[in-house]
Amino acid sequence: MDNILSVLVFFPAIAGLLGFVVDKESARTYGITVAAIELFLSLWLWFSFDSANAGMQFVEMIPLIPDFGVSYYIGVDGISLFIIIMAALMTLIGMMSMSITKNIKNMIITLLFLEMTMIGVFVALDAIIFYLFWELSLVPMLYIIGAWGGPLRVYASIKFFLYTFAGSLIMLVGMLFMAYVYHNLTGVWSFAITDWYALVLPVDYQLWLFAAFFFGFAIKVPMFPFHTWLPYAHGQAPTIGSVILAAVLLKMGTYGFVRFSLPMFPDASVMMITPIAVISIIMIIYTAMVAYAQKDIKQVIAYSSVSHMGIIMLGIFAMNAEGISGSVFQMLSHGIVSGALFMLVGVIYDRRHTKLMSEFGGLASVMPKYAVIFGIMLMAAVGLPLTIGFVGEFLVLLGFYQVSPIMTILAGTSIIIGAIYMLAVYKKSFFGPVTNEANKTLKDLDAKETWSLVPLVLIVIWLGIYPKPVLEPIDNSVKAMLVFMDEKAITKEAKDMIKVAKSSQGGV
Amino acid sequence: MMENLVYIALFAPFASSLFAALFGMSPRQTFVGIIASLLLFTSFVASALLAYYVYTTGNSIHVTMMEWISAGDLTIPFGFLVDQVSVTMMTVVTLVSTVVHIYSIGYMDHDKSFNRFFSYLSAFVFSMMILVMSDNFAGLFIGWEGVGVCSWLLIGFWYHKADVTRDENPSISPSWAANEAFIVNRIADLGMLVGLFIIYWNVGSLQYDVVFSALPNLSGSVLNAAALALFIGAMGKSAQFPLHTWLTDAMEGPTPVSALIHAATMVTAGVFLVIRANPIFSMTPEVSFFIAALGTFVAFFAASMALVNRDLKRIIAFSTLSQLGYMFAAAGLGAYWIALFHLAAHAFFKALLFLGAGNVMHAMHDELDIFKMGGLKKAMNWTYAYMGVASLALAGIPVFAGFFSKDAIIETAFNEGTYVLWAILVLTAGMTAFYSFRQVFLTFHGKARYDESTLHPHEMYKFVLIAMSPLALLAVIAGFFMGGFQTFVTKLLPDYVMSEHTHHLIWVLTAVVLVFAVGGIWLAYKKYANGLKRDEELENSFIYKLLANQYYIPQFYEEFITKPYAMLSEKMWTSVDMKIVDATVDGIAKLIYKSGDGSRKMQTGNLSNYLNWMAVGAVLLLVVAAISAMLG
Repeated sequence: MDNILSVLVFFPAIAGLLGFVVDKESARTYGITVAAIELFLSLWLWFSFDSANAGMQFVEMIPLIPDFGVSYYIGVDGISLFIIIMAALMTLIGMMSMSITKNIKNMIITLLFLEMTMIGVFVALDAIIFYLFWELSLVPMLYIIGAWGGPLRVYASIKFFLYTFAGSLIMLVGMLFMAYVYHNLTGVWSFAITDWYALVLPVDYQLWLFAAFFFGFAIKVPMFPFHTWLPYAHGQAPTIGSVILAAVLLKMGTYGFVRFSLPMFPDASVMMITPIAVISIIMIIYTAMVAYAQKDIKQVIAYSSVSHMGIIMLGIFAMNAEGISGSVFQMLSHGIVSGALFMLVGVIYDRRHTKLMSEFGGLASVMPKYAVIFGIMLMAAVGLPLTIGFVGEFLVLLGFYQVSPIMTILAGTSIIIGAIYMLAVYKKSFFGPVTNEANKTLKDLDAKETWSLVPLVLIVIWLGIYPKPVLEPIDNSVKAMLVFMDEKAITKEAKDMIKVAKSSQGGV
Repeated sequence: MMENLVYIALFAPFASSLFAALFGMSPRQTFVGIIASLLLFTSFVASALLAYYVYTTGNSIHVTMMEWISAGDLTIPFGFLVDQVSVTMMTVVTLVSTVVHIYSIGYMDHDKSFNRFFSYLSAFVFSMMILVMSDNFAGLFIGWEGVGVCSWLLIGFWYHKADVTRDENPSISPSWAANEAFIVNRIADLGMLVGLFIIYWNVGSLQYDVVFSALPNLSGSVLNAAALALFIGAMGKSAQFPLHTWLTDAMEGPTPVSALIHAATMVTAGVFLVIRANPIFSMTPEVSFFIAALGTFVAFFAASMALVNRDLKRIIAFSTLSQLGYMFAAAGLGAYWIALFHLAAHAFFKALLFLGAGNVMHAMHDELDIFKMGGLKKAMNWTYAYMGVASLALAGIPVFAGFFSKDAIIETAFNEGTYVLWAILVLTAGMTAFYSFRQVFLTFHGKARYDESTLHPHEMYKFVLIAMSPLALLAVIAGFFMGGFQTFVTKLLPDYVMSEHTHHLIWVLTAVVLVFAVGGIWLAYKKYANGLKRDEELENSFIYKLLANQYYIPQFYEEFITKPYAMLSEKMWTSVDMKIVDATVDGIAKLIYKSGDGSRKMQTGNLSNYLNWMAVGAVLLLVVAAISAMLG
């Protein structure tokens, strides 16, 4: 199947349109079926994917506006492949675990559209197509938070929309300018990212363009100090919204840095290592402290997301294969783990209609299964070896150590302060005597919840013990990108800083 | 064949853990404990066979199971190395574990989470086996973190207990102590990780053999940094000052856990790391001397706190801390094989001591205050004998294991010419003897200080007492194998022999240590063998209070680290995040909204107003054009 990517992008959307005629009662089953087929297709994509090939595969290209070089141009490489699979997986699992009954049909259709935009972002190789999916992804999420959210949902959803939208507009200006520069230098219009890669830009251009793209990506990640929309969005969003937001939507930002900023502006990226690393370290330490101060369990997970995204950002700017591969792996790890943690918070919220830790205590005695799964995810979140969380965090810190030992030690405090707030959550909620009457009769995980969470537990352990099937394709593509960046870099600093892996030097 | 044994030794505890986990949420089943113990015994047998193989052939066995992480130029396999050092650890770990597993069948008899306990306990052994068997630093780190998590689970095993004040219980609650242990260890783990990073970027590999053969090419500063970072890691697991507070609080866990994890095995992981990485530490004399000095300090520091403590388990915990200090002193002075020997001997007699303490707790319905015991000798012959033997070994009385191992460490300090360390270690040996026998006499001798009408102490189950016997036997005879052990492990470890000069003085040195040890016992006998006479004046003295409150270090940490961290976090959230960062964002949004709202008033529908605005606009544009023309 040559056009499997197009199928992956548009199948959920078409199914979503057809969803309007599906009976309300069966909407949920319908949605799960569609999402399951989509996941199956994405796994097929992985199966047909050639791991040894570091370049773009399954490329499709249909000119849309030839005069301006805009085309429907998509493809996948090791870096995007697994994010796509994760998006499909988390959509399916999110739907399976969903407890919403109000307007369920609208929710299912919204989620299917959201799935299209998410996969679209990660396969797009044309800047305009990328931008379209990027912006379109805001709409379903706006709707999910605004329609199914908590009391402050309107404020939260508008804040989310306007904030990220403002950033994207700056990015759009950057894209247009990039296309303009491309036209000036080559005489033809093109929005194809691969064409842009080939362009060697003067350093000052690179810096301006880096800045423009930075705003779009940084707000999405979200990087400090652009992160305050996130706690509101998570605080108000229903569980499914938080799961998708944390697992996939945030990854768009970090993916953007890998897909656009690094290969297009290698010199500017190298010049920006220190400022970005400083921001990342602030994200890691500061938000971990803020997380510790939270009273609401969901807010802890929300702030912890920002802290973990700091690790991912740091790895991207390590400029070596260890760091960047670790960073991409950490995107997947954070997606699975934070998604699961949000689902787990949803479980207790469904039962008690509160997320305040002071309301809980001793849950391990009444809900042992729940406590076990929460415990495993917690350990993955704090980066315990043999869970998925260790691999990425370890590689990122290892990679960045080559750039700056001091900053790595500062960032490495995440393994300490991460444990502090996570264990505090666990102690407050699960340990101690059951003091609150309302908690004494809580039911443990039901079949639906168990079956949604167990696959995630298995993935967390499987990829913790044997990350190779995923890490290897990522690493191949990252190594190729570094070789390319090294060749393209014009300043000596950048050439020195970008470390081509020894294992990939022979092949070039 | 040998490869299979390696896998059996490693995975039998894992199988045991999984098997017990299957029944983790169902009611107590004795067979879970029995099968777990059998699997552990299997692991012990495999380890012993491997030890025999390594001993007879002198070969080591190296297996690579599969690749773990591979990115960039980094490749980390799951590889396992069975050589003289690791096989010693494997045998010690599995032997003590098997005893502790059988012991737990009796000790945890009435606990409703019996099955869960075995699952955790076996998982711990599996992690510990990974730690000691791994052939690379990253694999060691897996075990390192694994034992940390199991320790967290087991310290907090009785998680349902509520927090109480520090005055009521210095450890606050099991879950509090568990979190403390985990977090403090994580601080050290960061050091360990940094050590791995330094090694990787300077050598390009984390495999022991590659790293050790590349050491001569590394600069002194790199070696020092790596050694120091690795030792910081070791300080966490082995609870060296200032990261020591968690170990005594870890006594909140069930007593078999204290015996296995917090005495015999996990806490020695730091010492093991130094021994394993001895090629690095041999090349960094400054760091090594620091290790020896810190170890000596901790030996004394911990023993001093044990002198006045009233809590049966905490006394033993302090003594563990103190003995770890001895091990580090030996390792830091280059006597790696002596450190390893003391590690093994200590594992036997300390586990025995703890298990004996468990029997006492069992008999006394979880009473831990030795001031409220006394006279248990009658009811608990066996336990008395066991704890007596273990204490004699700990005190370093001849023929018992501790005499040989500890004496060798003290001699090493003399031999190296570090007389200050030597003097402190000798003094500490006296203190060790005193506090060990203070505890024995207060527990078993004299008259009962508990209410005999309600409490009827009884001896532990027979099978438990029998299960403890191997440890008792080893606590007595292990010392006789010292010579054989030396030839065995020094095939791998650098040999350490005393100089001629020390050799001449050996009788004098031994006699000095013995005088202190016997003196300590004698003093304890005088004061406590005939019952407890409280000395109000002494108990109210400054020194006594300082020691009883652990030099106020836990309070210091709470006031100057824990509380400020919580306060700062709160401020970060309410003042910085909400009032500055977020308020700025909302401020910008409001400004845009207000300016839009304000300029909306221009839209009056009145034509002459519009004309006015048009004129203003035209003038502004003219000015702008003029200025830009002038600027050129």
